[in-house]
Amino acid sequence: MKRFIADNGSIIVLLALCAYYSVVTLGEQHPNTPAAGQEVAAAILKDSSEQVTVVVITRDTVQDRAYSEAVRAAIETGGGTVLAVVNGAPTDARLALEQVGGAFSRVDAIATNHSASGWGPLKPQKLKTTADKFPGISGIKVFKPQSYTWPSFLTRENLVNVINQNAVIAIIAIGMTLVIITAGIDLSVGSLLALCGVTTAVAIQQMAGGADAGTIGLLGACLIGTGVCTLCGIFNGVMVTWFRVPAFVVTLAMMMVARGLALIVAVQYQSALLGGGTEGTPEAVRIEAAAFGWLGNGATFGIPNPILLMLALYVLAHITMTKTSVGRYIYAVGGNPEAARLSGVPVFGVLILVYAICGAMAGLAGIVDASRFEGGRPNAGEMYELQVIAAVVVGGTSLAGGEGRIFGTLVGAMIIAVIQNGLNMAGVASYEQKCVFGGLILAAVLLDRFKRK
Amino acid sequence: MLTRSSRWMIAMSMLGLLFVTGCTPKDEESSGTGSGGAASKSDGGTAAVESRGTIGFSALTLKNPFFKIIADSMTEAGKTNGFEVLVNDAERDVNEQSKHIDNYIAQGVAAIVLNPADRIAIGPAIRKANEAGIPVFTCDLQCAAEDAKVDGHIGTDNYQGGRLAGDAMIEALGDAGGEVLVLHFKQANSCVLRVQGFTEVLAEHNKDRESGNITIVSELEGGGLTDEGFKSTSDALQAHQNLRGIFAINDPSALGAWTALKQAKKTDQVTIIGFDGQLDGKRAILEGKIYADPIQFPKQMGVVSVQNIVKYLDGEDYEKVELIPTAIYKKADAEKDPDLQKTPTPAPAPGEVSLIQTFKSPG
Repeated sequence: MKRFIADNGSIIVLLALCAYYSVVTLGEQHPNTPAAGQEVAAAILKDSSEQVTVVVITRDTVQDRAYSEAVRAAIETGGGTVLAVVNGAPTDARLALEQVGGAFSRVDAIATNHSASGWGPLKPQKLKTTADKFPGISGIKVFKPQSYTWPSFLTRENLVNVINQNAVIAIIAIGMTLVIITAGIDLSVGSLLALCGVTTAVAIQQMAGGADAGTIGLLGACLIGTGVCTLCGIFNGVMVTWFRVPAFVVTLAMMMVARGLALIVAVQYQSALLGGGTEGTPEAVRIEAAAFGWLGNGATFGIPNPILLMLALYVLAHITMTKTSVGRYIYAVGGNPEAARLSGVPVFGVLILVYAICGAMAGLAGIVDASRFEGGRPNAGEMYELQVIAAVVVGGTSLAGGEGRIFGTLVGAMIIAVIQNGLNMAGVASYEQKCVFGGLILAAVLLDRFKRK
Repeated sequence: MLTRSSRWMIAMSMLGLLFVTGCTPKDEESSGTGSGGAASKSDGGTAAVESRGTIGFSALTLKNPFFKIIADSMTEAGKTNGFEVLVNDAERDVNEQSKHIDNYIAQGVAAIVLNPADRIAIGPAIRKANEAGIPVFTCDLQCAAEDAKVDGHIGTDNYQGGRLAGDAMIEALGDAGGEVLVLHFKQANSCVLRVQGFTEVLAEHNKDRESGNITIVSELEGGGLTDEGFKSTSDALQAHQNLRGIFAINDPSALGAWTALKQAKKTDQVTIIGFDGQLDGKRAILEGKIYADPIQFPKQMGVVSVQNIVKYLDGEDYEKVELIPTAIYKKADAEKDPDLQKTPTPAPAPGEVSLIQTFKSPG
């Protein structure tokens, strides 16, 4: 039992957190589906005996349109008349009500959903005053779907959000886990993310043809961006191995250099856009190719692409770490480099590879970021290194090296994500959030010590 | 002497305590959806404020008091109008801000207010809110992304503020004129407008003058921060011994400039004009460190944002883009200012709300 808790502590913490937030976010949910629309239509038809006249009012969204269409169809098949369907803003609702109130002698009901029922023109008092001028709507009643109680944390939309929002951190955390298993550290990942985003953006705009860029051009640009970051990673690795500079110092330097380069590239590019006369501003390099947004904002089978990319990378990393000799080498180097060297492990090669992978992961994350925001942001990824290290540590990887699991890191990243999501949804100020995260990291390390004892 | 295991127990339980206190949401906010029983079918009309749902506010950074004031006034104005205001801190990161917007959409808030952390890159997130049918309002900072629909904006008229700063500089330097330093923050579009207004006023002043010109001898990056403002000013004082005036684009950099002047023993030679009217800046004006500030009205920004949301939801007309002019604030104003009379958080003065009405007229 004790063994089980120690081994799966982080998963238990994650589940406990989910349960906790499910309880505290318990609240009313408001259905907005075509099925709910049919129920509302049935309620309206049941409520009035004769030929019922209805106005349907919702917002102008895809879901709302489907809902209002379902209401309209159900009312009409039930023998009622739909006088108007409004898909728009509150102003449109007011104008429509005034219009039908003036044009028709009797309007029985408004079919709406939760969001639109909160609009001023649909409030009972406001309806009364409107009815004074437009008597047709004096007997009007408002119908909306029945609400039900359910935790707002536990909705599919929110859970997908939580994972999607933190996919970038989780992707970088793969590389960081490898580095930390070898008892190293990489502080440059946040800056490399920005550098990759900016280079990819410039490559797309300048080399791949901007707005007309094809798939191959886009992939090429992404390769250039990730390639630059991989090279930076290799540089880190070479410095750590051949020149024996501590990883903390090398990657701290790389953090500054890469951030500087990202800013220089962005400013130079903006300056060139303006004709080169003035110095540019450090704004995002806009990517005009619409297809590029697919990775960051698109979805496959209803699951956002960043999540799919993240999962694929995790599976790949897990297999590498558990089933291949490269994985065993990495653990060996982290556990005891001298012993690893004596048993024939190419220690330098392994270390350089690990830093290269870490750079490449930061690069991939940079591409997701650039795709999500449709531009390479030189200021992206600030302080990410610390968030990523936190995720790795919370996931149970030891900073002393030699130990750690890839999926532990994923759980660690999700623990942080869930806590942040819950705190954000509850409106806890960022000041308190910082205290919570600090405590969390400390608790994770203490737990780690406790396990070793 | 504690045993090893009891030390562990103490450490873990202390952390646990910290954790629980941090995680527990405030009582009144325990419902995540924040929706009340809106639109009952019966004739309501009760005196109590009817709940109208949640407003999500993603602030640029709550480390800057300016945005904290906006958040607080919005929360208060929201409460009187039946809204629960959910405040989140984007910490200047557009990625963080996009997360907030995703959360708001998932929670189904009635409206979203934000200070865009990046005027272009915030576009995709706003478009998502557009698709979800949630109105988006910007505050202080504007969004410049294409095809992202913003339903209303309230901000400061920075250009006019820059002109006021220029007038104050002319008044301070008098007929003698002299050399002036600008502490800039070029990253922010608002600051570019401030400096533009300032420069234009000085150019008009200098046009037909034979002597007593006021010339900008240097424009340095002050970063909007006290330490950078200090460094830049120190450097400028080396290069320009006869400097007579400094225009800093916000209060923190103005205070940095003052520290540099004090070290160089030139506080009586050089006049500082700041911008913002934050509490620190106002205090510095009272103490005579800063000559004058064109001040902004963050409280109004919060209040008007809520008013615009109410009007939007009620289907009424409102000003889609509203710029509040700044007002010049000098030592005489500081002496009368209730904010400086040792009251930590003063209640919103009744006069302030009425100001909004007068500002709307020139339309």
